[in-house]
Amino acid sequence: MELSDILLKVQKPARYIGGEQGAVIKDKNNIDVRFAFCFADSYEVGMSHLGMKILYSVANTPDWAWCERVFAPWEDMEAEMRKNNIPLFALESGDKLSDFDIIGFTIPYEMCYTNILNCLDLGGIPLRSSERKDLSPIVIAGGPCTCNPEPLADFIDIFSLGEGEELTLEIMELYRKHKKLGSDKMTFLREAAKLEGVYVPAFYDAEYNADGTIKAFHAKDGAPEKITKRIIKDLDNCHYPDNFVVPYLDIVHDRAVCEIYRGCIRGCRFCQAGYIYRPIREKSPTVANAQAKQLCENTGYDELSLLSLSTSDYSALNELLGCMLPWTEKEKIGLQLPSLRIDNFSDELLQKVASVRKSGLTFAPEAGTQRLRDAINKNVTEKDVMDTCRVAFEGGYTSVKLYFMMGLPTETMEDIEGIANLAQKVVDLYYSLENRPKGKGVSVSVSCATFIPKPFTPFQFEAQDDFATIEEKQKHLRKCIKTRKISVSLHNSGTSLIEAVLARGDRRLCDVIYKAWEKGCKFDGWDEFFNYEKWLEAFDECGLDPAFYANRKREYDEILPWDHIDIGVSKKFLINQDKLAHESVTTPNCRQKCAGCGATKFGEGICREACKNLL
Amino acid sequence: MRPVRIYYNKTGKLKYISHLDINRVMLRMIRRGKINVWFTEGFHQHPYVNFALPLSLGFESESEAVDMRINDDMTNDEIMKRLSAVAPDGMEITAVCDPIKKFSEIAYADFYIVIKGECEKELDDFLSQPQIIVEKTTKKGGIKQIDLKEKIVKYSVSAEGGDTALLITLPAGTQENINPNLVLAAFSDDLSIKRVVRRAIYDSEMNIFA
Repeated sequence: MELSDILLKVQKPARYIGGEQGAVIKDKNNIDVRFAFCFADSYEVGMSHLGMKILYSVANTPDWAWCERVFAPWEDMEAEMRKNNIPLFALESGDKLSDFDIIGFTIPYEMCYTNILNCLDLGGIPLRSSERKDLSPIVIAGGPCTCNPEPLADFIDIFSLGEGEELTLEIMELYRKHKKLGSDKMTFLREAAKLEGVYVPAFYDAEYNADGTIKAFHAKDGAPEKITKRIIKDLDNCHYPDNFVVPYLDIVHDRAVCEIYRGCIRGCRFCQAGYIYRPIREKSPTVANAQAKQLCENTGYDELSLLSLSTSDYSALNELLGCMLPWTEKEKIGLQLPSLRIDNFSDELLQKVASVRKSGLTFAPEAGTQRLRDAINKNVTEKDVMDTCRVAFEGGYTSVKLYFMMGLPTETMEDIEGIANLAQKVVDLYYSLENRPKGKGVSVSVSCATFIPKPFTPFQFEAQDDFATIEEKQKHLRKCIKTRKISVSLHNSGTSLIEAVLARGDRRLCDVIYKAWEKGCKFDGWDEFFNYEKWLEAFDECGLDPAFYANRKREYDEILPWDHIDIGVSKKFLINQDKLAHESVTTPNCRQKCAGCGATKFGEGICREACKNLL
Repeated sequence: MRPVRIYYNKTGKLKYISHLDINRVMLRMIRRGKINVWFTEGFHQHPYVNFALPLSLGFESESEAVDMRINDDMTNDEIMKRLSAVAPDGMEITAVCDPIKKFSEIAYADFYIVIKGECEKELDDFLSQPQIIVEKTTKKGGIKQIDLKEKIVKYSVSAEGGDTALLITLPAGTQENINPNLVLAAFSDDLSIKRVVRRAIYDSEMNIFA
């Protein structure tokens, strides 16, 4: 059976055919390094990921390298592929995964770990690093989840830590050299481990205490004791794609994307992205505008979205919008400003957004009471929420989404009631306004996720609420909602537990992930696929307790599985921040005052400005 | 503002692209080719493009048509040049011209179908029956019985290098539409179809549609 014989038997065959506008095609006979860039989720999700677009473009810059895309096939396609012995293939050449020199995974969330194993298996690649003896293929991984690489340590040869624009090319160049020399895999890995930002897990051993905590972590073969993540120092002069692969299918985020800065000044204590992407580095508005314009021209997209962790914190936002609005309006390109913060969402900004396209408004107060918002350092007040909603309602909006978390450290039932109260106040505000939209009701959607403590956040030491507590809190929240104007959506607690385990896991979880995959776990981030029972069986068979990872409070002096990774913020800083959380004391944002997180060591971005101000 | 009609082929891997997806492809081609098309004037303004006939997923076509309106005085030749430059593999712009008839006047289409294996005799016998009664889902979701035989305008069956080729003319368009898959499914539910190509579209007088 050929691919063409099965494509019409599966849903959305366009996921598997490649040939999209912007896809890079090269002559493989002139290529030294073939790179399969894998996203271990569906085509629609993977094709929406900016990191993959950037690195695809970067890895295709050398003429001796060809980078292609690989996505996890959907269930129906996987069944046909397995039935007909069709191995997983890359979309550009259609060649099977095992034809590639480097197989690279970008790992944006924990719940795709089993899909990584499944992709390797579908490609006929042995899953464990130790079973792959040859130089080819080398399996590498990067992305935010790899800040704690340990749960995947057995499967990945090389982790690329931090931002990949430079390091990916360095790894590819080193590989090219060793392929020409005919080096063996270990020789290459030893050399790779010398690159700043490379972590080769095979060169490290973990020793455990009787209670399951880590006793010691040893580097061997000359590998560095501490691995420091890489950052791009100058975003203006960093490679940014002037073209995207434009899918035929309607994908999750189908638009041109303009990245405006990396990092976040806020330091919300639950937010991993707020710490691991430090320091804050902005792109200048002229560069961002030129890149966005070029991208729209080359792709033909009629939508453009600004991308960062918090759009309104971009210091040159007004200037950028001033550059963008004339040409986007003229070309009838819809401009989207996601991730606006409540406290600096101005009337003027709303006008600018409204002049383009009116979509729903989403705010994330994260917690229901001021005390808890202070504890998590979400520096937003009830007044901010109300002021913004007033502006929005008077501007014609009738629906507001409010995002909260449940199970935050120090949370009490009073805080849960606060969620319902805040939503109710928004409803009451709407009806108190004289000039609200005429003849329309208001709809407030409360989305309440279960808090998941993540590495490299102040809450990395904290316990996740257990099932019973979460369920009790969820029940209580529902009870406190008194009107149908408010709808509540809650997260699946099984998923949250497994995510919490994988996020702060150690090496022993490799066996659990392997077992879970063997039992058929895949697409764990999708409710229709997630199978909690199978995960529990996998833990049981490995003699491990998920509660040890998810629901246990860590002492500050415990050796954490990711302590050998230097992400830029110091453990001392995180400990201090956790202590402040318990005192409900906030920390000013990076623009107001340097909090001394440690990211000044990179000497870039806002930290450099802060240092200048001190002088 | 003047209307233009664009004819194109959709072949090869593009057969896996749905009609809705082709709509998006066309909108991006218009932008990338910098064609000054007329936008609808509503709350959500969007370029006005109107496709002649939808094409089933899995079908190729040598007779696709789409209408749009041009704001400036760009010539048909220039439009053809620009769209051709940005068309994806598998899409070939074959003509750009001034529309004559309305799409609602499309009445018939030719399909060229290749079935894997030799079944000329069986297929010919099947199609030469006096009546071929099948069940068809109506637009309202009901099921009605129709006689395919009286719908088929003409057909011919031939051998083609070990496979079987069928050329068949069926009603197509807004008034009545018979999908060739209906004919094939009535013949056998165990066929391996190698290709279905919409070759040409006609008006009610069986003149090539223009």
